[in-house]
Amino acid sequence: MARDRIGTACGVAAAMVAAAFLIVAVVLVGKAWSAADLGFLFDPSSRVADRAGIGPALAGTLWLAALTIAVAFPVGVGTAVYLEEYAPRTGVTAAVGGAVENLAGVPSVVYGVAGLALFVRGMGMGPSLLAGGCTLAALALPTMIVTSRAAIRAVPRGLREAAYSLGATRWQVVRGQVLPAAAPGIVTGSCAAFTRTAGEAAPLLVLGAVSFMTFAPRSPADPLASLPTQVFAWSTRSQQDFAAVAAGAGVALLLVLLVMNLVARAVRRRLQGVSA
Amino acid sequence: MSDPTTRPAVPVLAAEDLTVRFGRRTALANVTLSVPRGRVVSVIGPSAGGKTTLLRAFNRMNDFVPGVATTGTVRFNGVDLHGDEVDPVEVRRRIGMVFQQATLFPRSIFANVAFGPRASGYTGDLLELAEEVLDAVGLWSELAEDLDRPALELSAGQQQRLCIARTLALRPEVLLLDEPTSALDPPATARIESLIHSLRRDYTIVLATHGRRQAARLSDLTAYLAGGELIEYGPTETLFTTPRDRRTESYLTGRIA
Repeated sequence: MARDRIGTACGVAAAMVAAAFLIVAVVLVGKAWSAADLGFLFDPSSRVADRAGIGPALAGTLWLAALTIAVAFPVGVGTAVYLEEYAPRTGVTAAVGGAVENLAGVPSVVYGVAGLALFVRGMGMGPSLLAGGCTLAALALPTMIVTSRAAIRAVPRGLREAAYSLGATRWQVVRGQVLPAAAPGIVTGSCAAFTRTAGEAAPLLVLGAVSFMTFAPRSPADPLASLPTQVFAWSTRSQQDFAAVAAGAGVALLLVLLVMNLVARAVRRRLQGVSA
Repeated sequence: MSDPTTRPAVPVLAAEDLTVRFGRRTALANVTLSVPRGRVVSVIGPSAGGKTTLLRAFNRMNDFVPGVATTGTVRFNGVDLHGDEVDPVEVRRRIGMVFQQATLFPRSIFANVAFGPRASGYTGDLLELAEEVLDAVGLWSELAEDLDRPALELSAGQQQRLCIARTLALRPEVLLLDEPTSALDPPATARIESLIHSLRRDYTIVLATHGRRQAARLSDLTAYLAGGELIEYGPTETLFTTPRDRRTESYLTGRIA
């Protein structure tokens, strides 16, 4: 049967993906092994590989994640709600929608250049975590808007009409029925968009990320440190010892993303439980 | 019917030369019809004949259909529903609607009943209101202990009755029922029919239906709509026994579906 063959092919593909992931994990952990100790997680950078830690970079990445979500989520969901529920169905709306979709395909490094001009210089944020968070938010926004719109559009028309027929205003319909029904889809899409940006190095390097920092950032105005840029910086060092440190930072980045995905899953389950 | 010494009362709902188009399709063409207070008016006719469009014109639900164009007037207690002063949200609070498919929210039974009143800023006791309207549709005795249960767990017939209860919770003047039994089995249909019969005391009802017998059993007046045109409108008994129009007659005798 053709269908069985497709099933087998899919199984093989899935196995290959799993194997590839396993190989990456094993190689990274193997390389990182020598760097592994608790101090590595909290120590600041050092010129000596043995003493180098990812403290500032890890804190920077957590800051960036929080800032990116804080900026991108409300703006993204708000834009999607506006475009789907409020905007008149005109050519202008369609053009905006098309532009957003195209933005999703713009390379991340270009966002870095735009962020450098707009946030770092234009708005005077300097090469700070805030500028990084805003740039990553801009990077996440198009995908977030597109997937949120799709989730909102998938809410059955009957649900909207029932709410309207019960004398609800547009906002009451959106708030009371459409958003709760679309929430699992919105969260899934937003997390996919967001986790993609959390691993970005290129735009942050363009903004002016630091690779050597002796203290962990404490506010959004502090210098821009992050795990991806730290991995990049260490992997370009000629000393062999730094390869292990770079791999260690890579493993840490993977773990951070893994935790973020688990949190997203938990949130989604909760939302689905509520709306069921 | 009415006392001849007084002026004829203003009808609750009146369509005057009402035409509704969706893009190029004309769903209703020059329909003029009035619904007197306290009556049950059924709208019968073949599928896509304009029944749903007429009902939705009465509470401005057609506003949500892309490409809709309405000409003519619809009046509610004499007021033009498309007038500048009129808030369509307020219209829908006073003219309730129940759809062909039960469209419950994926929430608890109570949340479904409470949604409308909450939206309109109801300040009374929601639980009392829920009891009242669930009792009116005969659900209170079945579900009094289960208000927190997901509404979608109910049977199809119970779901449709809950939809009616949810609409009653708005305390509307008019109920628009759009083929409320077409998705139900005969026992559930019978329950809804006796419910409609009991609701006629308190509400003006417009009932779109496929069922000719249902119209005959339940309504005071019947309108026959086909191809978007109002073919005939009059007292149910007259329309069913001595239709004036040949097309009505052939529909009633089953020569056209």
